[in-house]
Amino acid sequence: MLCDWLHLGPQEWLQFVNKEVKVKAGNDDELRGWLHTVDPVSASLVLVTFGHQGASVVVLMGHAVRELQVLREADEVTSQRLRTCFLPHRKPRLEP
Amino acid sequence: SIPTSAASHDTEQLQEEQRVRSMLRENFLRCLLSVNNKKVHFHMLEKVNVEATFGSSDIDVLNFQVSDLHTPIGVQKEALIRSRDVISFTFDL
Amino acid sequence: SFLRSSVAPPTERPGERRAAEMKKLYGDDAPKILAMEAAMQLTFDRNCDLKQPNYWPVIPLKL
Repeated sequence: MLCDWLHLGPQEWLQFVNKEVKVKAGNDDELRGWLHTVDPVSASLVLVTFGHQGASVVVLMGHAVRELQVLREADEVTSQRLRTCFLPHRKPRLEP
Repeated sequence: SIPTSAASHDTEQLQEEQRVRSMLRENFLRCLLSVNNKKVHFHMLEKVNVEATFGSSDIDVLNFQVSDLHTPIGVQKEALIRSRDVISFTFDL
Repeated sequence: SFLRSSVAPPTERPGERRAAEMKKLYGDDAPKILAMEAAMQLTFDRNCDLKQPNYWPVIPLKL
């Protein structure tokens, strides 16, 4: 969908959260990833792709978004990873 | 006067929008905090690509404060990058 | 309340307007968001004071 991305509201941005999206940005870039969140101040997107080890994150500036397309919804496992990937890590501490 | 049901419906809608906005913003701020001290790759306008160590961002997301910025003509120890010049930046978790 | 609303000078404590704006945007979560933003801005300001970074590139890029 072609959209005036900068001027959407929280509810509209929320519709894309937790979805895999394809975004056209800048002049001729195309990005793909799971949409973690949209900053309501700058309309910037946080896109996450998961690999074997960890995850790769792209922060895409709201002003650069040209076109956005939803590819698919996240399954339960992906949703869970998306929800927790920026939370401070709490490693279990083994006290003697 | 406004019927009570309509008024409370509006209040509910406003509160729902505030709740969503808060969640989106909190998640974004957490993401920015997680970049601290990480190697980032900036993809900028005019096909400019640079690497740096991420420091911090102002809350309006207008500027990124970075260190060890590898510019095409050398390393700049400390730098500010305008978000207007940036298309995206990438880092690993 | 008559004295307060009409006679008292229109004082506004610093941050009061911002707090009101934040309340309108974020509702009950406003204090939490405000606190997170304050911490982040403080880090940014402190780093800029300490490291005195210059803009790169010097002239903004154009599309």
